Amino acid sequence: MRKRTTRAGWVSRLQVGLLGLAMLSLAACSSTTAADPGASTSSAAAGFAAGTAGWDDVLAEADGQEVSLWMWGGDELGNAYVDDVLAPAAAEAGVALRRVPIADTGDAINRILTEQQAGTDDGAIDLVWVNGDNFRTGLQADAWACGWAGRLPSAQYLDPADPLLLNDFGTPVEGCESPWHKAQFVLAYDSADVDEPPASLTELFDWARANPGRFTYPAPPDFTGSAFVRQALYDVAGGPEKVPADPKDAVGAQLTNELWAQLADLAPSLWRGGDTYPRDVTQLEELFAGDQVSFTMTYGPATLDALVADGTFPASTRVLPLTGGSLGNASFLAVPANATHAAGAMVVADLALTPEQQLAKAGPGVWGQYTVLDLERIPDDVAASFAALPPSDVVPPFAELSEGADPELAADWVGPLDDGWRKSVLAGR
Amino acid sequence: MIETPTETPTPTPTAKPAAWRGGWLVLPALLPTVIVLTLGLGSALAQSLGLLPLVGETRFTAQAYRDVAASGALVDGLFVSLALAAVSTVTALLIGFTAAMLISRSRLGGRVLGALVAATVPIPHLVGAAAIGLLLADSGLLARLIGADPGAFPALVAGPWWIGVLGEYVWKESAFVALVVLGALASTERDLDEAAAVLGAGPASRIRRVSLPLAAPALVVAGSISFAYVVGSYEVAWLLGRSYPEPLPVLAFRLFGDTNLGARPEAMAVAVVTVAVAAAALVVGGALLARVTRPR
Repeated sequence: MRKRTTRAGWVSRLQVGLLGLAMLSLAACSSTTAADPGASTSSAAAGFAAGTAGWDDVLAEADGQEVSLWMWGGDELGNAYVDDVLAPAAAEAGVALRRVPIADTGDAINRILTEQQAGTDDGAIDLVWVNGDNFRTGLQADAWACGWAGRLPSAQYLDPADPLLLNDFGTPVEGCESPWHKAQFVLAYDSADVDEPPASLTELFDWARANPGRFTYPAPPDFTGSAFVRQALYDVAGGPEKVPADPKDAVGAQLTNELWAQLADLAPSLWRGGDTYPRDVTQLEELFAGDQVSFTMTYGPATLDALVADGTFPASTRVLPLTGGSLGNASFLAVPANATHAAGAMVVADLALTPEQQLAKAGPGVWGQYTVLDLERIPDDVAASFAALPPSDVVPPFAELSEGADPELAADWVGPLDDGWRKSVLAGR
Repeated sequence: MIETPTETPTPTPTAKPAAWRGGWLVLPALLPTVIVLTLGLGSALAQSLGLLPLVGETRFTAQAYRDVAASGALVDGLFVSLALAAVSTVTALLIGFTAAMLISRSRLGGRVLGALVAATVPIPHLVGAAAIGLLLADSGLLARLIGADPGAFPALVAGPWWIGVLGEYVWKESAFVALVVLGALASTERDLDEAAAVLGAGPASRIRRVSLPLAAPALVVAGSISFAYVVGSYEVAWLLGRSYPEPLPVLAFRLFGDTNLGARPEAMAVAVVTVAVAAAALVVGGALLARVTRPR
C-alpha cells in the first residue's frame, strides 16, 4: 500500500480558510481610498471600453496602479505562476499585481454584489478569474465592465470564431471578460488498481459497482463535482445535443429524474457507501493520494502532472480516455464595473493574453494551462515553442483530450442540477 | 438640648454622576458592539424577510423561512447543530471540571496539565480542526501509524457520528472550561476544602459539597458560552463534517455563496435562526446562573 502525505492539501485549505476569514472581517469595512493616486472611475478605462479612448491612454492611466486579482487559491501552481511570472511582468508595465486567494469564486461575486448594493464605486476587486454561472450571475446584476475585452491589443491572437471563447456556458461573452485558459474535464485513475479502464461513464459506474468503495465524486456545488454531474447528465441523455436548453421543460425534467435515479442507485457502491461525499475536489485528491479511492477528477488536467511529479499522486496515475469526449470550457478574467483600478486590470488581462505569457503558463512545470490563442495567429517562434512543450506520461496532449469535446451546459442548468443533486441524491437517502 | 435626627441621611448626590461616569467608560466597548449587532443583525433580518434583495423587487415576506424549512435542510441542520452543541458542551464541562480539580489538587501533574490547558486555549479553532483532520482522516497520521488498509480505518472524519468535529470542540472547550473554573475557584476553594477535610469529609463528598457548588456559576457561564459558540461555528464542521445534514452555519454559508441570487434570503433566514438559537442558549444560561447564585 502506498502512503503519501496529503499535508499540502490541508495546509493550502488552511491558508485559504484563514484568508477567507480575514476577508470576511475586512468586508465589513469599506475600502475607501480617496487619497489613492491611481484611482479614478471616469477614466481612460471606461473610454477604452466605450471605444472613445485608445490603448495608450489606458497604459498611461494604469501606470502606478495596484491591481487586486481575486482568484481561487486552491491551485498551488496557479498561485506560483501569478506571483512569480505574471506579477513581475506586470510590474514592468508599471502595474503592481496583488493576488487575493479565495476559497470559491462565488466569494468574489458576493463581494462585488454587496459593494454594488452598498453603492460603493471604488470596489476592492479589480480583476476576477471567472467563468460559467459566476460570470452569468455578475452579468445579470450588471456587475461587469463590458466591451473592453475584444479591443485588447493581444486579442488579435484569438480566433474570432472559436465557440469556446464566444460563449461561456451558453452565455454570450460580448467583451465582458477576456479569455485566459482553456480547460478539459478529465477523470484520472490509478492504473495499478484498474486493469481495464472504463471507456464511458456507464462502464465506470459498472466498475464502481464491482469495486465498492473505490469511487466517489465531490459534492456539488463544488466546481468539479458539479462538472461531473453535468458529464453524467450527458451520459444519461446520450450526448450534449439531446439536452434541451431549458432545465424546466418536460424533456429536461425527465432527464434529470433519470440522472438522479442512476446516481442514487450508484451511491451504495461509492466511498463510505455514498453516505457522505468529499466536500470539494481537494478532499477527493486527498483520498486518491491516500489510496482510499482509485479515481479522481479535475477540470485542470495539468495539475495531474505536477501532483505525480511531486509524489502526491502515484506514478501510475493516468487520464481516463472517454470515447464520447468530455466537457471543455474556457475561463476568463473579468473586471467589475466598480473596479478602482480598471485600467491596470485591463493591462494585466492583456498581458495574460500575450503569446509569451500564454507559453510560459502552458509549461508543465509552471501551470500547464492550455492556451486560448490560435497558434496560427501568433509569431512563428512562439508557435514552435508551443509545439516543443514536453509531452506528459500522465496527460495526453490537448488536441487529443479535446477531441469530440462536449460544450458546457447552459448556465441555467448549473444551479438547478446542484440543488437537485442535494435534494434527490444526497438528502433523499 | 438634644438634637435628634429626623431624617436618615439621603444617599450622597454624587452617586448618580459616578454611575454616569462608569457608563462613559463602558461606551468605547459598548458602541461598536451595538453598532455591529444592530446593523449586522438588522440587515440579515431585513434580507431574510425579502427586503434589500440583490435582484428582483422588494417585498415583505416570510417565504425564505418557509422555503428553507420545507426543504428539510433547516430542521435537519437545527437538529445536528443542537446535538453537536449539547454533546460537546456536556463532555467539555465534565472533562474541564475534572481537569480543574486535578490541576488545583496535584502539584507537578497539576502544573503540567495547567500548562497544557493554557496552551490549548489560544489555538484557533481552524488550526485545531486542520490538525484533527491531519491526525484522524482516513489516510491521516493515525491511520498510517497503525498501518490501516484503505477503507479499514473507522470513519472519524466525515463519519456518521461526527467524531472528528466533536473531538475538536471537546478538546478546545474543555480547556476553556478548566481555565474559567480554575479562575473562579482560585481564592476561596482551597481554604474551604481544607476546612472540610479537617472536619472529616472524604474527597468525593468534598468535591460534591464544596468544589462543585463553588464552581457551579463558572460552569454555567462557560457551558453557555461554549454551547452558543458551537451553534454558531462554521469552520470545524465544514472541515471535518459530512455532506448532509449540514449544521446551520455551514448551510447558511453554502446558500450565501449560491450562484442563484434568489437563495440569499434563505441564507439570511438560516443565519437569523442560528443567532436565535445561540441567543436562546445564552438566555437559558443566564436563568441557570441566577438559580445557582441565589443565596440559600
